Amino acid sequence: MAGTQLRHIAKWRGEIPIESLYTAGIGGQRFFKALKEKGKLVGTRCRRCHQVFVPSRQFCERCFVELTEEVRAQPDGVIKSFSYAYIDHNGGRLKHPVASALVQLEGATTVMLHRLLEVKDLSRVSIGSRVKAVIKPKGKRIGSILDIEGFRLVE
Amino acid sequence: MNERVAIIGVGVMAARPSSEHLSFKEMMFEAAQKAYADAGIDAHEVESFVTCAEDLTEGISIFDEYTPDQLGAVQKPMHTLTQDGLYGIADAVMQLRSGLVGLVVVEAHSKHSNLENPNSILNYALDPVYNRPLDFNPHVIAGLEMNGFLHATGITQAQCAQVVAKNRTHALKNIAAAYPMNLRAEDVQSSPYLCYPLRDAEMAKSADGCVVVVLAGASRAQPSKSRPVWIRGVGFTNDSPTLESRDWIDAQYIRAAAAMAYGQAGIKDPVAEIDLFEVDDAYAYKELQHLVALGIYPQAVAAGRAVENGESGAAGKMPVNVSGGSLGIGHTLEASGLYRLAEIVCQLRGEAGPRQLPRAKVGLAQSWRGVPTTSGAVVILGR
Ligand SMILES: [Zn+2]
Repeated sequence: MAGTQLRHIAKWRGEIPIESLYTAGIGGQRFFKALKEKGKLVGTRCRRCHQVFVPSRQFCERCFVELTEEVRAQPDGVIKSFSYAYIDHNGGRLKHPVASALVQLEGATTVMLHRLLEVKDLSRVSIGSRVKAVIKPKGKRIGSILDIEGFRLVE
Repeated sequence: MNERVAIIGVGVMAARPSSEHLSFKEMMFEAAQKAYADAGIDAHEVESFVTCAEDLTEGISIFDEYTPDQLGAVQKPMHTLTQDGLYGIADAVMQLRSGLVGLVVVEAHSKHSNLENPNSILNYALDPVYNRPLDFNPHVIAGLEMNGFLHATGITQAQCAQVVAKNRTHALKNIAAAYPMNLRAEDVQSSPYLCYPLRDAEMAKSADGCVVVVLAGASRAQPSKSRPVWIRGVGFTNDSPTLESRDWIDAQYIRAAAAMAYGQAGIKDPVAEIDLFEVDDAYAYKELQHLVALGIYPQAVAAGRAVENGESGAAGKMPVNVSGGSLGIGHTLEASGLYRLAEIVCQLRGEAGPRQLPRAKVGLAQSWRGVPTTSGAVVILGR
């Protein structure tokens, strides 16, 4: 077919495979170590602006100072916003939406983005709903944000 | 030193869903030809060039190596910003004001139709340690932000749908728009959810296109030689991009960028002093959020009411996105801000044809670089 040949001339396909390692850093290692070894959620507190960053960080972006004070957040938190994705990461349509939420944990002033687990009835979720972080059992934790399975609604 | 800087030429390619017959270099060549003819200059006179592009969406690394030929920039100073085109305008203004050069060209384009996996590319922009492993589509960030924004402000889903209806209807009068449509808010609200509460029809569809802008210092920009549209103020800022600690309600990157631009332009009351606005509407709610951050509505809820009662329509007292915006023209990657700017130039010159506004003396163009960024720019133009 002439059309097919023309298309072949009009475009050339290529790809760029990119693979990288990403460094968690001093701040990130503190969080992931506590998560993996103890199943705890740790943050760092800024002595100037009193922001409590969870996950922990090495520096405060607003005050530009090093963060040394470690703080432990509770797994309980409150939903600051939520969404249901009807598309997968490639943009393909999902039959069942995937719920996610921004959650402020008790003891933190920042939010954490993660999955909302076992949401059967979407109308039960709202901004302000209480949730609890579900942390994987010790044997399954590897020091990753996925050591947290997500947040579950608290009745 | 060039105290005053003007836009003396604009070359706009009509945005289209695809552009199979032209390479990106040929698109740039066409827009540059138009811009230089519009400015009444020869390519050889240009002293410095700025292109705005992102390597991963070009599919080429070190993109700045690929830009001189098609702009007439061989053996001339040039560089690429990985930013929206309005940052390129700010860059050119600074070069001109330094007095080192008198004529600068800014270019940005989109060849989005060549991207086979645009969502994956967007995914590379997410934090690789904390966010990317969750395997969400990055548009979820817009869904989360919209939900929080509506909850905090009282703006409704119906008002966001009205933004789409307004902008795509505006685009009917713009020959450069890829997605003109006579729409009502109800039509938009019957569209399926993309990332609740964001609907499919509320996200600007992608388009290919290219814009080239010629800027000059005051000595070159005499009304006798060209039709100058003066740059009265430029601002650009990045908020913290970190999802965990950014502001999810207020577009603070625009609040700060606008303060810069208003300060330079001596604007105290943007509502009274600016005739038309071209703002980022990559997602419908963003138009309202950006207008609030520009200081147009001290009470955010009024931004929703203004689109509902037609105040921000072409016939309203404060027209927003008469061009059609990104919802009507199509989202053109780094060129999106330059399409906003090109409309202001066109209106201020009185060359907007069927969509010409009766009063167009001062206009504001604003851009945002899309999820997951918090980068934005504001340019104020005057006749
Ligand atoms: Zn601080």
